[in-house]
Amino acid sequence: MHDTINDIIDDLSSVIYGKNEQIKLALTCLFSQGHLLIEDLPGMGKTTLSHALASVLGLSYQRVQFTSDLLPSDILGTSIFNATEHSFAFHKGPIFSQVVLADEINRAGPKTQSALLEAMEEKQVSMDGDIYPLPSPFFVIATQNPLHQSGTYPLPESQLDRFMMRVSLGFPSKDAEKKLILGHNNRDYKLLPTRINATELVNIQNEIKKTTLSDPVIDYIIELVTYTRTSGIFSNPLSPRASIALGKAGQAWAYIEGRDFVTPDDIQMIFKYVTAHRLGIDVNNSELYIEQLLNAVTVPL
Amino acid sequence: MTQLKNTKPINLLLSLIYLAVVMALATELSVAFSVLLGFLCVWNLAITLTNKKKPHTILANILAGLCLLFLLYDVGLGDTVTLFVAMLILSSLFKLLQARNKKHYQTIVLLSFFSLSTVYLFSQSLLSTLLVSVLYILNFAALMLIESTHKIKLAVKQSTKMLALALPIAVFLVIFLPKLPAFWQLPGPKLAKTGLSESVNPFDIAKLSRSDELVFRAKFSNTNKPNAPYYWRAIIHDQFDGSTWLVSDFSKQQQRSQIADAPNAPLLSYSIIAEPSSQPWLYGLEQAYSNSENIKATQQGLLIRKRYLNNTINYAVTSANFSADALNISSRNQNLQVDNSALNNVQTRDLAYELYKTTNSDKVFFNKLSTYFLKQGFSYTLTPDPMTSSSAIDEFMFNKKRGFCGHYASAAAMMFRTVGIPARVVSGYLGGELNEQDNYLSIYQYDAHAWVEVYIENEGWQIFDATAVVSPERLTGSLSQIDSLSGEFTNNLNFSLLRFNQIPGFNWLRLNLENLDYTWTNWVLGFDQQKQSSLLKKLFGANQLWKIALFSLLVLISIFLSYFIYLNWPKNTKQNQHVMSHYFLEITTWCDKHGLKAKANITPLHYLSLAANEFPKKAAYFAEFASLYSKIRYKEDYFTSQDKKHGRDLVKLIKTNS
Repeated sequence: MHDTINDIIDDLSSVIYGKNEQIKLALTCLFSQGHLLIEDLPGMGKTTLSHALASVLGLSYQRVQFTSDLLPSDILGTSIFNATEHSFAFHKGPIFSQVVLADEINRAGPKTQSALLEAMEEKQVSMDGDIYPLPSPFFVIATQNPLHQSGTYPLPESQLDRFMMRVSLGFPSKDAEKKLILGHNNRDYKLLPTRINATELVNIQNEIKKTTLSDPVIDYIIELVTYTRTSGIFSNPLSPRASIALGKAGQAWAYIEGRDFVTPDDIQMIFKYVTAHRLGIDVNNSELYIEQLLNAVTVPL
Repeated sequence: MTQLKNTKPINLLLSLIYLAVVMALATELSVAFSVLLGFLCVWNLAITLTNKKKPHTILANILAGLCLLFLLYDVGLGDTVTLFVAMLILSSLFKLLQARNKKHYQTIVLLSFFSLSTVYLFSQSLLSTLLVSVLYILNFAALMLIESTHKIKLAVKQSTKMLALALPIAVFLVIFLPKLPAFWQLPGPKLAKTGLSESVNPFDIAKLSRSDELVFRAKFSNTNKPNAPYYWRAIIHDQFDGSTWLVSDFSKQQQRSQIADAPNAPLLSYSIIAEPSSQPWLYGLEQAYSNSENIKATQQGLLIRKRYLNNTINYAVTSANFSADALNISSRNQNLQVDNSALNNVQTRDLAYELYKTTNSDKVFFNKLSTYFLKQGFSYTLTPDPMTSSSAIDEFMFNKKRGFCGHYASAAAMMFRTVGIPARVVSGYLGGELNEQDNYLSIYQYDAHAWVEVYIENEGWQIFDATAVVSPERLTGSLSQIDSLSGEFTNNLNFSLLRFNQIPGFNWLRLNLENLDYTWTNWVLGFDQQKQSSLLKKLFGANQLWKIALFSLLVLISIFLSYFIYLNWPKNTKQNQHVMSHYFLEITTWCDKHGLKAKANITPLHYLSLAANEFPKKAAYFAEFASLYSKIRYKEDYFTSQDKKHGRDLVKLIKTNS
């Protein structure tokens, strides 16, 4: 199984150059059944990443471009009157696919944002008193423009909490950018081979739940979380949902690294991505704050 | 419902446990039912080993119903103990066949604690104790496997450790806890497969099937050991119906109503440990008497159980000579009764008259009859020809002249009665195997014997044993030791160590095993109220019960107190640390001393990789320690003593040879 995961990573990095860590983080998020928030400037490869992920993993894919006039029914679907049968029929919206790319989520109004986030949390859509379950696995990749850009509605903290991780692809290295300009060896993400199917993905997700989360590691997570609550530095301390997410993401990261146990190093690795958006730290400042935090907390032996 | 990760080893262990239990109980259940239970165990094993699916619930339930019907048909409602034991094992096995989740397996492990203890209902020997102990270990191991992801070997090791820890507590409780009388008893003792019977009819037996099952052991004090032969009396047959010797209603009634007084001048005192038996008869020499509370001593000098108990009993006996008092009329008549047997066996009757006519003295007739058996070419055999005609005694006395004790006793007693001398057939055991070391006799079923007691005027009852005349070596030892009969004897036995009597090594082994079993029976099974109080007296001095109470109380209080103190002891963080963490700290102090600059609060593995870079000569040790550290601390593998040693060695290697 580990070979397959390496193949997936190789495939993805043949599309997105020099972003190995971000690719692994995206997989971590997907494998631990969380949703991913990518915050970046336009044109950094967010769409390419999400589309490539969907095709490598053999999942159905839909992209929704969020605009300020997007309505909830544009995402969820609407009931349309069928004149011949004299009844309303529900037409499923783009959210009914396994991977949903919600592009520029903070351009839409709060009502639309919360419709999406509610569906993410419940894994179902309720419309006109009927419940329509979303497909499984269900994975939302939302992208967000940096908040200082004009025409954005920032997501409230409570809704940011729903995303397991926030990553930023960042600018490519000079070498990578050179390759991009040359169009060198540039494979179309639509042509990537499908490495696994949905059932295998679910199997991986179940395998990950069995990864050993030992006492010292759990203690470490608790120490870290407690520090955000007691130190007084952070205005939005971490919730238990964040602790759970840290454990799950740690397991998935360890699994991708080919281990069946989590080490504190795994937790340190994913800590920034799981907690920065919950702590209300700006992408650009996160490095500094998180480093301080990690240095302040003793690693249990 | 929680699914288990390691159902395979659990299934394996439980199937093996039940297989062992079924084999241990096979003698108590019918062959067909044992085979059925065995098949269920093997089915479980096969499913486990081949990773097949368990049978569908409906199928298993239907099979269980059918098996239950078979069980009711096979065992019947009469023997409730066996019935319930069989039901318990059957239901546990079917439960195992259907078990899928954690709760099911927990139920089965609980049930098997009962199932494997049922072995004790039928046998309390040392061997079954060992077996049950091993099964307990395995069952605890199964319980451990349910709650953990250990390997079988580790689980067995852990559960052995746990039970070993419980052993001192058990010993303490056995020795010091007051022995209370049983609150309940098993309904009905088990049926003896061999043993004495109230009726003796030797003539229709073609082959005497004998077993090497132990009947009882007798221990003499070192000073007064009587000389052989030992005639262990058990049953007096004083009613003869022409072919069979029975216990007369007269003596049955006497046994019920009259209880003997303690003899005035006992010659011997000894103790007997009797194995469980379905019959009331116990064993003693000559005029035996016992004041043990569970035993009734009759005026005829027999000992009878008052209560049926399905365990060994230990009692002290005193024996005196038979009294020379005159017989009363009714018992005299009873002991002269011949009915029509004399008419059927005319030749024997005439022979008796003829022998008596020339002497007219009881004493002389007694000797003459002995000489007759000696001179007339009689021989002893364990495989006589069956004699079924109504004149069987005639046939034996004049044609066949081959037989075992029953034939001789039967014929002799009839002849005595014919000429008017009171006589009775007594069955019991003769001899026994002497254990020189501990000075006790073991008497086995194959030592069963029948002889005649004759009442001689003014002398009292005398033993007349025609078998002894025909085959005198039978008197001194156990039947197993007679060379001339050894071929016949071993053919009669089922497979047992006794078969290899002639090979010195085997005999040594057999005698030692036997000795071990004696010690077990005497000291563990026979550890009753009396033994307990005498041991306690020895330990604490006589009549100082308060000392014992105080001692027990102090031990209990100190155990609880130390446990309480242990629980509440202020936790020293250093002490609570894992050994591996301790090693890691040792490494960090060493690295600090040797100039490794590392940031505070980096992870152990990160630190080790930094150290490996800093001290490239020792990089391999650091890497090895890192993998060991993550295996123990993060992978949560079991921390074996080998790992501990490995860690310590690595720390040493890192710290030295710089």
